[in-house]
Amino acid sequence: MWSRNMLPKAAGDSRALLIQLARLGDLVQSLPAIEAVRDRYPNRPLDLLCSAPLAPVFEKARAINRLVPWNGAQWRAWADEWSRNPTATLRSMETYLCALGEAGYDRVYNLNQHARGTLMTQLFSTDSIDTDGAKRADQEVSPWAQYLRKVAKERGDNRVHLADAWCGMCGVKPRGRAPILDPQKADLPEDLAAIGERQGLWVALVTGAGDQARCVHPDVWASWIREFLAHIDDGQVVLIGSGHEREAGQAILEATPTLLQGRVWDTIGRTTLCQLMTLLGRCPWVIGADTGPLHLATAVGSRAVGFYFARARVHETGPYGEGHWVYQYDTQAQPDSWPIKESIGLISGRARRAAPGWSLWNSRLDRWGVFFDDESASQATDQQRAAVWQALSPTLAESVAA
Amino acid sequence: MSHFTVNVMRLAARYPELAASLKAARGEVLTIESARNGSPSALRAGRWIHSSYDPLREAETWADSQAPACHAGEIIVIAGIGLLYHVEALRKKLCPDIAVAVLIPNMDEFHDVLSARLLGPWSEHILWLTGTPHDIAQTLTAAGQPLRCLSYTPASQADVDFHSDFEQALRRGIARQAGGQLTIALVGPIYGGSLPIVGYVKRALETLGHRVQWIDHSLHAASYEMMGTLKDVRNRQLMQSRMAEVLSQWTLATLAESPPDLVLSLAQAPLTLPVLEHLRKKKFLTAMWFVENYRHLTYWQQMAPGYEYWFVFQQGLCLDAFRQAGARHVSYLPMAADPELHRPMSLSEEERRTFGADVSFVGAGYANRRRLFPALLRHPWSFKLWGNEWDGAGDLRSVLQLNGARIDTATCMKVFNATCINLNLHSSTGTGLDPQADFVNPRTFELAACGAFQLVDHRSQLPDFFTDQEMVSFRTFDEVPGLVQRWLGDPAARQAMATAARTRVLDTHTYVHRMRDLLAQIGLSQPDRVGALLRGDRQQEALLSRCTDDPSLESLLKEFPAGQRVELKDVAAKIRSKGTTTTLKREELMVLMLDEYRSETRDLL
Repeated sequence: MWSRNMLPKAAGDSRALLIQLARLGDLVQSLPAIEAVRDRYPNRPLDLLCSAPLAPVFEKARAINRLVPWNGAQWRAWADEWSRNPTATLRSMETYLCALGEAGYDRVYNLNQHARGTLMTQLFSTDSIDTDGAKRADQEVSPWAQYLRKVAKERGDNRVHLADAWCGMCGVKPRGRAPILDPQKADLPEDLAAIGERQGLWVALVTGAGDQARCVHPDVWASWIREFLAHIDDGQVVLIGSGHEREAGQAILEATPTLLQGRVWDTIGRTTLCQLMTLLGRCPWVIGADTGPLHLATAVGSRAVGFYFARARVHETGPYGEGHWVYQYDTQAQPDSWPIKESIGLISGRARRAAPGWSLWNSRLDRWGVFFDDESASQATDQQRAAVWQALSPTLAESVAA
Repeated sequence: MSHFTVNVMRLAARYPELAASLKAARGEVLTIESARNGSPSALRAGRWIHSSYDPLREAETWADSQAPACHAGEIIVIAGIGLLYHVEALRKKLCPDIAVAVLIPNMDEFHDVLSARLLGPWSEHILWLTGTPHDIAQTLTAAGQPLRCLSYTPASQADVDFHSDFEQALRRGIARQAGGQLTIALVGPIYGGSLPIVGYVKRALETLGHRVQWIDHSLHAASYEMMGTLKDVRNRQLMQSRMAEVLSQWTLATLAESPPDLVLSLAQAPLTLPVLEHLRKKKFLTAMWFVENYRHLTYWQQMAPGYEYWFVFQQGLCLDAFRQAGARHVSYLPMAADPELHRPMSLSEEERRTFGADVSFVGAGYANRRRLFPALLRHPWSFKLWGNEWDGAGDLRSVLQLNGARIDTATCMKVFNATCINLNLHSSTGTGLDPQADFVNPRTFELAACGAFQLVDHRSQLPDFFTDQEMVSFRTFDEVPGLVQRWLGDPAARQAMATAARTRVLDTHTYVHRMRDLLAQIGLSQPDRVGALLRGDRQQEALLSRCTDDPSLESLLKEFPAGQRVELKDVAAKIRSKGTTTTLKREELMVLMLDEYRSETRDLL
């Protein structure tokens, strides 16, 4: 059996690993923390462990030394196999872990607050191991983890964005600027190659959402498209979604007048992640609910308009960066009206206004990271964020203030 | 040299006796004809047993469909010889650590095969199984390896009796060897005739050493009955079906709490088809023992594809009907008795007076009983009628006990024990004996288990369970008064017959026997899952024996007592119980990680 002694860390090398096993949206929103850690420790290679299917997102991320793709499906198969052959299963797992990296890590940043993340922290740490990871966890990190748990549970008036809270968890201050991923240069299917290459106002429309409660109904999107194409002569809409959203895409297309269909590009279920990044990089605007592709689009340079409703909250998971817009529904109920004309006015630059039942927020960046402003922003918001940082990371807060 | 000579020489090296038998065989069972592609194909009794176009391609397709299910360490037993194209194709697809065995029910047919085709070196890696079905089954079970039975139907159906006997012998052999412990969720009905059987099944499974979780829906019977009082039929049906849906979801939620190895339902269990399909997607193994006459209760037609395994107490047409309705596996499993409950009793004189009679019948007032039983009145011997639903039974009211109240099992046992001759007439909606007498009711076994003498209407299956020295049956009701007269006058003969019947039940017809058969059948079909559990592959000692070269894992497993089944979740719980301050080994962390993924796959709701 493999033992830790057989895989010593290379002498003199200090290495770090950041663990983020969440879905696409959270993975992309980890980028500010990744870049902030890299800025803080420029000489220490930082590896990223993430879900294997999502690894291509960060293939060209400069802040990341090496990607460690985690194959959850394989672990599920081993869980089934264990009783049949425990020894062989453990060996396979060891082989797998060895193949992921040559050494343990001096520092592991775990952004996942679940048992799996804690166990991974222990498996990849060179430090001593205990059952809850408490000994390993930095005193600086734990208060942030507790804070996030509290926010998730109580949903109070929190103004610290999740991406910045992750900076805090990693013991680094936010950089105060948005991270940018190089859009992948993936070849697109021939019929999609013209997207973004022709002149026009290109908008990527994210049709679905991982959480059913956050899905905008296809009828709403169809109305949005009709309105947008009717008012913006050179408007072009690119439908974005996974294979699961094909039916919704079809419904949207069917509800779009035939004359306008030539300006709607259906890419749903037809792209790899790299191709999706290429597509999003070619659209100056993206619109959608709080979803992975919306955040991915902001990371490759698009400006976002988000429809935030159900449990989605702009201050916690709004699009990261400067100049994005979010319509936040006033209650947690499903909206009965949508800011269609208002969001089109925003994208076309003709008008900037909220909608009945919806407040409008604009993203800005400062020393504490991103925040959202509805033009009534007072000093109190800034003070509230500063107070959280001072309470949870006093040393960092002092350096930010300085 | 002929193909036959070369093939037999090749066989003789490993199977000299088989080679000798082949030389003595006549052949002439198969008619060999060329297929369109030029390969030899064959007919048996006028029916093609291989494709008349391209038997090789057909065999490849068959092997492709079977190979993925075969696992290392298993013996694959193939029923149906054909011209062995399919055996050759499968052998070539499987890795060497999977053994392939072929049943040979008919030496003449095998003679024809060896004459028609020259077998290649692959045939040296086949186990040829000859002898009686019982002998072959014994040899295979003695090998102690997981067995997976496959059937090449076009060729196997000509020897259906041989294969059926073999499968039964194999099932019994595996059942005898079973030593492992399963966790079984038992899903019972809200009410009805199958409700007491749930209790018998539970006791039997526990007697066999399995852990049983009874999901008891009878707790909701009062609410269900209350809904039955609604006068509007549509409202009543709507409410009752909604309740059944809720109970189905309740079952799902209960299963999610502690996922079992097998979900075993009894007839009328409130599990809906969508829930069963969901369970299947989540890899739960489900089985239903349909302890009802399939002609009377027909909801199985909609439910057939839902359960992975069906067990029914009727044979022949019933099995075909279930298969046609989409049942993937359907097997015969007759009724039985529970000797814990169905047993001889010492009764007081008072009890004998109250519950006893020369002739008694216990049961509901079905049409045929109402029509036939008046013939038992006005005889010199006493006759008592027990049970409910006898309203408007005319003359029979004079012998009806307890005003036709429903009687409980304890009273029923007293009647059985106190009566000289218990009448057992299978129910029918007609006016005479059940014209489709293709099953034996539980009452037959229960009376026998009590050591009570009975007269039962003849059933086609009855000789399979009891001999003429153990049970007296009648083919027309006219025989009954004469039989009563005769047997009342011979208490010693009655006693001898009743004792013999009881012995027979204890030997072969208890719920323990049935559950052993049921599990063996599933184990046979799933050698790597339930089969492995039954063989004891998950017991502590078996797991230990598989990790002798891994001291760290060995020390983890040694923390469990020998004889205990150990699952991943048990090992993980043991590790977690060390507390949060203990330094864990790497292997322990990996086990905890695996357990996290295990629990995710069971996220049912």
